Amino acid sequence: MEGLGLVSAGVDRVGIGRRRLVLMQLAALGAVVGPGLIAGLSDDDPAGITTYSVLGASYGYTLLWVLTVSTVALILFQDLGARIGVVTGQGLAGLIRQRYGARAGVTSIAALFLANVGTSAAEFAGIAAGCQIFHIPRYVSVPVTAVLVSVLVLRGGFRGIERVLLALSAVFLAYVGAGILAQPDWGAAARGLVVPNLPMTRDAIYICTATLGTTLAPWGLAFIQSYAVDKKLSPHHLRLLRIDVVTGAVLTGVIGFFVVVACAARLHARGVSITDASSAAAALEPLAGRLAGALFGVGLVGAALLAASILPLSTAYAVSDISGRPAALDDTWREAPLFYGSFAVVTVVGAGLVLLPGVSLVPILVGTQVLNAVLLLPLLAYMSGIARDRNLMGAFVAPRAVAASYWVVIVLVAACIIAMLALTVGG
Amino acid sequence: MARLRVARATPAASAGRARARQVFAGSLVSVAGLVGRPVQDTEGRFLGRLDDVVVRTEPGYPRVAGFVVRIGQRRSWLHAEDVQGLDQSALSLLGTRFDLTDVTRRPGEVQLKGDILDHQLLDIDGVRVVRASDLYLARISTWWHLVGVDVSWLTFLRRSLPGVRGRRPSPAQVVDWTSVQPFDVTTGRVHLTATHAGLKRLRAAELADLLEDLGRAERRALLETLDTDTAADALEEMQPEELAGLLRDAPAEQAAELLAEMERDEAAEALRDLDEPERAEILTSMPSEAADELRRLLAYEEDTTGGVMTTEVVAVHEDETVGAAIAALRGADGFPVFPTGVAVVDAHGRLVDEVSATELLGEPLERIVGELVGPPFPVTLSPDADLDELVEVITDNRGMSVIVVDDEHRPIGRVQADDVIDALVSHPRWPWQQRWKGSVS
Repeated sequence: MEGLGLVSAGVDRVGIGRRRLVLMQLAALGAVVGPGLIAGLSDDDPAGITTYSVLGASYGYTLLWVLTVSTVALILFQDLGARIGVVTGQGLAGLIRQRYGARAGVTSIAALFLANVGTSAAEFAGIAAGCQIFHIPRYVSVPVTAVLVSVLVLRGGFRGIERVLLALSAVFLAYVGAGILAQPDWGAAARGLVVPNLPMTRDAIYICTATLGTTLAPWGLAFIQSYAVDKKLSPHHLRLLRIDVVTGAVLTGVIGFFVVVACAARLHARGVSITDASSAAAALEPLAGRLAGALFGVGLVGAALLAASILPLSTAYAVSDISGRPAALDDTWREAPLFYGSFAVVTVVGAGLVLLPGVSLVPILVGTQVLNAVLLLPLLAYMSGIARDRNLMGAFVAPRAVAASYWVVIVLVAACIIAMLALTVGG
Repeated sequence: MARLRVARATPAASAGRARARQVFAGSLVSVAGLVGRPVQDTEGRFLGRLDDVVVRTEPGYPRVAGFVVRIGQRRSWLHAEDVQGLDQSALSLLGTRFDLTDVTRRPGEVQLKGDILDHQLLDIDGVRVVRASDLYLARISTWWHLVGVDVSWLTFLRRSLPGVRGRRPSPAQVVDWTSVQPFDVTTGRVHLTATHAGLKRLRAAELADLLEDLGRAERRALLETLDTDTAADALEEMQPEELAGLLRDAPAEQAAELLAEMERDEAAEALRDLDEPERAEILTSMPSEAADELRRLLAYEEDTTGGVMTTEVVAVHEDETVGAAIAALRGADGFPVFPTGVAVVDAHGRLVDEVSATELLGEPLERIVGELVGPPFPVTLSPDADLDELVEVITDNRGMSVIVVDDEHRPIGRVQADDVIDALVSHPRWPWQQRWKGSVS
């Protein structure tokens, strides 16, 4: 019986059977699916939904193409972030420091930190806006959720409720129904999706920049890379990870599309502009009727809680990563002051900004996303540089054509920002 | 100068300390600050800018062998012998001319800016992964040597300041160079520069922590340097998820070699976390005996006694002598965990009793093992018993281990108390008991 081992191994394989093989592949996918989906769904956070709503309510279907561009950019850079994480096993900030030195490192961590504080403020604004629909004042809702989220994340209970929050933010899938029921002008929507048409006004470019900034958020890039590092994913997983990333990004794009369509059909057609959460919620009326406000409020709070739990943690990881002292939640305050310090600053400043007297929520929600877009620039540039570095990426170095597409995105974001500044200064 | 800490102390003491720090800092040259400074000849004429500092890889404080100077577009090599003066602001040459040779990367030399600065290093004494915020040179007799690495966050921030403030040494948390293990990339691949003797003194759990914190290339390099025994011990201490990632990333032969060296139950647990094709590939690269045992273990459900037991049991027939039993125990020397006793079996291989190693040592060598059989008889479990039962049995009997038997009452494995603890930690009963593994998601 020579070759017994071989024969029995063969039998094992046959014995597994096709069905189980398929199941196993699904299970393997399940092990990886998550980061892209979480990052994607969290892009549909209060800031995202509000920005898309304003885009639809103010400009109808004409600016839908910005969403197309943002989604393509999101796929490109989330995929790149995942790849860098898998191949190098290092977080984004630390790697930028290693490759480009101290100034680049400080620049990128400062950009990431500022963007995350801003986005954290946007999440708390979302919580405030969502709770206002249920007549809970923000001076109650914001401090309570800030404490709740911090305790939950720091005590390690986040995993338990992660699914619940994901399910809550899936409420925004209701926009798909609302968009269809609103009987939109599909022809105009299809045209808007592919034909770039840009009114050269400050407000139009402002909302375009915000759309880019909210879709391609800096924290999302850092998050997906640190997820890949943390889970010690290997290059074998890259294909599955790409499926996950593309699914998450397309889902973001699809939800965004229906938000814009619902708002265009329902609000733009009547000349309603968005000033607070309840005016944005009106876009859900074709589906939910009188419950539109409640539905919108629940989705807003769920999505905001999800993002508000990830943001401070993701920032704290990035800061301790760049400082070279990898820290984790099982460290004490004394062992990892930088880690907990960044966590606290992101949460406290984020929540504090929303509590400032006289601050209105919609400008915070949209403005922070414009800030995101500005702060994206250095991060995207460094990422593209790393993508072309053969020493770091080895066989996974980006081909010239792909690298060129990264630069097209960067130039687009930069053009938006320059146009916005020029129109602001020029009046 | 092992680790200079700025302590919170009385004002007088801290003033003294600050003065000491200034003097100390004055005698050091910051490598990060030196990069980009002008290189001049004796008459002060500008020749080019410093691009990198090259040291030899040698134990102790490595001597500066030379410098890389950027002259126009060209990177040229400058011998340390041709340098007359070096301070934080400039480099001046001994003569007015020097040979311009192109820079070649030679084995045995490390480029401080290119390979070390801002890269990950192992701080062996502190047992942690750090990033080099700055590197300090000091003159020892005639030559400049690399003496320490600054790992502080403030120094990293300082370097981004413009002008002279960004360049001035700010020793805050300096680690002596002799207690650091750097990586270098001379051959285009990351590997360990002259393996640090201290690596051998690290405990398995400490090595595991270091492996978990390193980047992928650095982790591979460290793993390659360790001998299989040490590496396997460290791997046993890693988080299952991290371990699976590490095995997946290693070549199948190396993964197989490491797993074969690990405790069987730990190895099986690690294999469970891999996908089927990866698992099959590793198992086929393994010696068939180890692979068969692991396959048997993998057949049990994860949350059962079979899933956490090790298959290494020393069994002796009841007619054998005490001497033979002790010899059998000695034969178990290669087992990752030394067994606490022998399982006594009858002619059909069924378990009769367990005799501890201590008991055997107290008996004359020619005595028959069967005569030692008697109450209390060992408590046994079937491999299908769930973890609750297992915990109950272990706690009720205050034992260090339980023998696992099959349907015919033949011993097939053993569960040690530490495996039970592991199992309880990694299989919590409720989601909120889940151990936080420091992940972002």
